[in-house]
Amino acid sequence: MLARIADSLFWIGRYMERAEDTARMLDVHYYTLVERQGSSQRLRWEPIIRIAGEQDRFYQFHTEADAESVFHYLAFSPGNPNSIRECVERVRENARTIREIISREMWEDINGFYHEMKNFQPEEELRGGPHRFCRRVIFACHRFSGVSDGTLLHDEGWQFMRIGKFLERAEMTARIVNVQYHNLVDKEGIEDADDHQWMAVLKSAGAYQAYRRWHRSRVVPPRVAEMLILHPDHPRSVRFCFTQLQLALRDISGTMPGDYANEAERLTGKVLESLRYHRMEEIFKEGLEGYLVRLQASCREIGHQIARRYFYYTAA
Amino acid sequence: MNQLQPSPAPANNLFEAYETGAFYDEMFEQPSVPRSHYAPLFQVIGRLDQQQYQQRRELADLAFLIQGITFTVYSDGHNTERLFPFDLVPRILTRAEWDLIERGLAQRVITLNLFLQDIYGPQRALKDRIVPRSLIFSSPQFRREMMGLKVPRGIHTHISGIDLIRDSATGEFLVLEDNVRTPSGVSYVLENRLVLMHAFPRAFSQYAVLPVDHYPVELASILRSLSPRGGADTVAVLLTPGIFNSAYFEHSFLAQQMGIELVEGRDLVVDSGIVFMKTIAGLKRVDVIYRRIDDEFLDPLAFNPDSVLGVPGLMQAYREGNVALVNAIGNGIADDKAVYAYLPELIRYYLGEDPILRNVDTYLCSKPDHLAYVLDHLEELVVKAVGESGGYGMLMGPASTAAGRHEFRRRLLANPRNYIAQPVIGLSRVPAFDETTNRFAGRHVDLRPYCLFDGEKVVIVPGGLTRVALRPGSLVVNSSQGGGSKDTWVLRGDA
Repeated sequence: MLARIADSLFWIGRYMERAEDTARMLDVHYYTLVERQGSSQRLRWEPIIRIAGEQDRFYQFHTEADAESVFHYLAFSPGNPNSIRECVERVRENARTIREIISREMWEDINGFYHEMKNFQPEEELRGGPHRFCRRVIFACHRFSGVSDGTLLHDEGWQFMRIGKFLERAEMTARIVNVQYHNLVDKEGIEDADDHQWMAVLKSAGAYQAYRRWHRSRVVPPRVAEMLILHPDHPRSVRFCFTQLQLALRDISGTMPGDYANEAERLTGKVLESLRYHRMEEIFKEGLEGYLVRLQASCREIGHQIARRYFYYTAA
Repeated sequence: MNQLQPSPAPANNLFEAYETGAFYDEMFEQPSVPRSHYAPLFQVIGRLDQQQYQQRRELADLAFLIQGITFTVYSDGHNTERLFPFDLVPRILTRAEWDLIERGLAQRVITLNLFLQDIYGPQRALKDRIVPRSLIFSSPQFRREMMGLKVPRGIHTHISGIDLIRDSATGEFLVLEDNVRTPSGVSYVLENRLVLMHAFPRAFSQYAVLPVDHYPVELASILRSLSPRGGADTVAVLLTPGIFNSAYFEHSFLAQQMGIELVEGRDLVVDSGIVFMKTIAGLKRVDVIYRRIDDEFLDPLAFNPDSVLGVPGLMQAYREGNVALVNAIGNGIADDKAVYAYLPELIRYYLGEDPILRNVDTYLCSKPDHLAYVLDHLEELVVKAVGESGGYGMLMGPASTAAGRHEFRRRLLANPRNYIAQPVIGLSRVPAFDETTNRFAGRHVDLRPYCLFDGEKVVIVPGGLTRVALRPGSLVVNSSQGGGSKDTWVLRGDA
């Protein structure tokens, strides 16, 4: 497989996941706030911008983080390279350069989604509430994932797509937990929130139902963090993402379990060990924030190492 | 199924007021009397009302849009993607018509290949004064780098797109021009067929139409046969200028259909005369390159040094016989419009046969007497620059302005070698849907069949691309000038 093509597939997986995660957050957050009108809006919309990692750029375009500005910025803004619309454009652009590799069904799916995105009017969508828009995006992402799994050869190209997807998802989930913990729990560890806000955190990671089945108790912050970081089977937990990441990396290099063939695999294995054998209480003792910050840094470093190993050629 | 039974007078409201005019109409012998091989189609399409037709059309347009079968237009600093207009009424050729075309094209392709072998080899045709030396050496398309180079299996013209027109005066097919560099458009032949079958399944099922979808298989087998290493594990790639090229869709389509890698110049590297591609598992040797990049951009070391699309060192690898290029470099000398005028003579010279398909009469402005005639008759003639294609660099005499003619007079006098002129041929017409009247109207068409040459025989997918000038009265079928395309059917038996 051409290095350039592997690179494109990686980014298709990554941008598609980014679009979905952003839509999830917007949707859940908007309706949680609608439900609980009250305190200053800046406080309430700010975290979303931080989770998206856009706090610097956002204020170049808007003075106030409110429902309208955040929705517009994260969903449509051409000034935000990570807005949903930009992500979809980037997926389509990448797909267009490798049309001969991806299945015809995948191309038609993403191309149709792209044309649909172009027809959304931000003002109109906001007026009716972002739910319709966000559901469309999330559904389209699921559909794309299904179409890909069902029509693309499960060869190394497919694995690179999965790598992009799970790396993005792991980092995003880590950020959701990090930002929301800060947001909802004050320095003395006293909760400043009620069940509903923690429920919203779970929902934005698509984990609310799973949590309910797992715990059947009220929503307790440490258990929420545990669900999103350490759960072995929840498809959006950091641990699950790393498990998939490791499988995909090994599939490409042909490495046996217990061994590693490159730096990306070594780092992935190292993080995964920690996720497998840590208890949540130990992580709290070490400091949740530090743990999550290191986790995010590892995600970035793994991405970098994958690119170095597989995508880049220095001048021949 | 009742409605498929032939009935004497279909409710043909979309054909109301249809005129065949002074032209050869491919569908009608005279208004409302279809030629026998078009009759079943007329039965189906003639029954549609405007709304039904529009529904099918929208379906077809959507299919093209969703599949991203678009070409890119640059304007105001923006890239806009446009659909290549597709007209739903197919153009139908009988088996007898096609057999003649097929034989004529095979003869022509073999001659073009012999001519290129000769020009870059012994130059017999020049020594025997069949073609003037000056004509060859004055062409910018003549590539000295190719002299004496033995191309793999002696093939220069693996893929030719030869433009035919039907002369309304005689009903005869004529060759308008040869394209043996990197002819494009074959993807539309395949996609048009798919879309049309979905839009008119019933009409299609009334006919036994020869299939076209084996083109990629035929091409792929030619590519594989060229490997300098031989063997089964030949690596063939399609080299594209990239996503911003207007034919990018076709490049990726063909690569996909053939199951070969689509590469850009930056994916390839030449080391010690061997071409490699950069894969996730390291460098991998490339044996055959189907390149859709023009000669001058292929290798910045050999040709245009500013090219960032090409691969440095590629020409050297080609010279050393370590990689095959499809088509060969330097083919432009064979489809030079001035050389075209000599093709009938060359057919006789190399093959000892009479041309099966005639040329359009051509005035060579390099000849003083021809030039004088052309200058006196600018209003009646089509003047073309010899190295241009796509409908550019052209003066359409009858439709020209005084200023336009004045400009061409100046250009002709300044560089006569660069121009030829031809009488205006009344191209045959096929009904096409007119957006403004919501009716069918006769529109001029040409035909570009795609010919594959494996060194021994010429394989041509039945039909080819029918291009149609959608503007009323227009004779220019190029997509850049308001042209569209049609599906082209060749019937299995003689209908």
